[in-house]
Amino acid sequence: MDIEKFNEDIKAKFPSIKTIEVINIKRLMIYIPRELLLKIADHLFNELGMRYIIVTAMDSKEGFEIIYHFSDDSSGWIINLNVIIPREKPEIESLTPVIYGVEWIEREIMDILGIKFLDHPKPERFIFAESWPECEYPYRRDYKQEKE
Amino acid sequence: MGKKKIVPLGPYHPLLEEPEFFKLYCDGEIVKDIVWETGYNHRGIEKICQTKTFEQVFYVVERICGICSTSHPFAYANAVESIPGVEIPLRAKYIRSIVGELERIHSHLLWVGLAGHFLGYNTVFMWAWKYREPILDMFEIITGNRNSYAMFTIGGVRRDISDEKANQLKKVLEDFLPKLDLLVGAVMDDPVLHARLKNVGTLTAEDIHDFGAVGPTARASGVDIDIRRDDPYAAYDLVDWNVIIAQAGDVFAKAEVRLLEMYESAKIIQQCIEALKKDNNDEIKVKVKDIPPGTGIGRAEAPRGEVFHYVKSDGGNSPVRHKIRAPSYTCIPTFRRSCVGGTISDAAICTAAVDPCYCCTERMAQVYDHSTGKKIMNAAELIKLSQAKTRELRKKVKL
Repeated sequence: MDIEKFNEDIKAKFPSIKTIEVINIKRLMIYIPRELLLKIADHLFNELGMRYIIVTAMDSKEGFEIIYHFSDDSSGWIINLNVIIPREKPEIESLTPVIYGVEWIEREIMDILGIKFLDHPKPERFIFAESWPECEYPYRRDYKQEKE
Repeated sequence: MGKKKIVPLGPYHPLLEEPEFFKLYCDGEIVKDIVWETGYNHRGIEKICQTKTFEQVFYVVERICGICSTSHPFAYANAVESIPGVEIPLRAKYIRSIVGELERIHSHLLWVGLAGHFLGYNTVFMWAWKYREPILDMFEIITGNRNSYAMFTIGGVRRDISDEKANQLKKVLEDFLPKLDLLVGAVMDDPVLHARLKNVGTLTAEDIHDFGAVGPTARASGVDIDIRRDDPYAAYDLVDWNVIIAQAGDVFAKAEVRLLEMYESAKIIQQCIEALKKDNNDEIKVKVKDIPPGTGIGRAEAPRGEVFHYVKSDGGNSPVRHKIRAPSYTCIPTFRRSCVGGTISDAAICTAAVDPCYCCTERMAQVYDHSTGKKIMNAAELIKLSQAKTRELRKKVKL
């Protein structure tokens, strides 16, 4: 894959992309608005045939940062889609209808950060027990761990 | 139509390192659906890593998995070292590759042995585990431990491999390869294993793409991916080796890929040993003072597939976010395609085929009658069922 050509093509196809940044050798970060997620993920996964790796979610200064990692195995590049959603309204469209393998990690993110994935086929708890208290999300910055 | 029954595999069963729970929805003998439940052993390692220094995280991630305890430090080292852009010494690259490949050999032998056991073919189990012992002893000689090697550090490795140890390793491999020939012959030429494993739990290349499955699971379905070649790290681009691919996608193909990969691992180690002997530079690590703010993404090819680590640093002592993806995370969901449509007796080997981490020694699977809730089959009987199928097939092929 020619990364410069890839950058030009993707910018032309999706003009609402905020910025594209090479964060490291063979690592590309594409900052996108929330509305673009399903379309651009579909393009990478189905049209370009990239392999879905995983989704990382974190509580950062700007809000909840969700990063979708894709791998282009022909060239070794990792393409990351970075979406930031506001802390006041933590919800985003589920990617499971596009990529079947995303189901588990979205449920995990629901558990650890309390982000709601709209239209998720099975929005149930994944790693936490039923007895884990509601609205306690240990990966949020304001979570206070009880000292033993 | 028979009554629909639920066959629970788990929460503790011998195929997986961590307790997991599969519900097999069965119609008679045929598995109609499989549902997975987890969380029994969630240790919050990603959260723990945020409270440790970059150096300490190595010892935490090493304990994610007991069998592949080098893969996680490998991927983590690649991720952290990419933030300041550290180039590690050549000698450290070769040592890292040697440890990584020795681990692949012992992990694949462990899988082959256990797969043989589940099928009622205990000769393979005995042989594979017997040949694995010298490899584990070698680990002790090189790293000081049979498991959790603590070899990696930021900027290189913690211990050197002397010429004397390298010669010992060479000798162990020379002794091992003829035995591997024997084992590969026992598996590949056995008509019962052909009958038992071919066309069982087949995954197509599309299934692999849908779930993002990796490693031998993907390569057995003709998907040509291997991080060691596609995104080279350590010394993998400095030595000559091949990626093993099979086309069939069934359990037999997965066994074939793993068996043949051991030859490639031996080839890599032998070349690394020669390179170590020629290399007169004693430097095994470079000093890395601070990790600047930034994002590092590292990956490594574990015996089970790609391990992925995402590390975010804000310039402080510890990572502010550390995301870990182990290969089983994307390989286990493929059971929905590999087990469904097969029989209950094949479910054990189908779930074992992706090589989910083995560690637990107890099996608590029981069959309940869905209507009465009465127990009708226990764990030992389930294994017996799988082994009985092998015996029947053995009679059929007149062995």
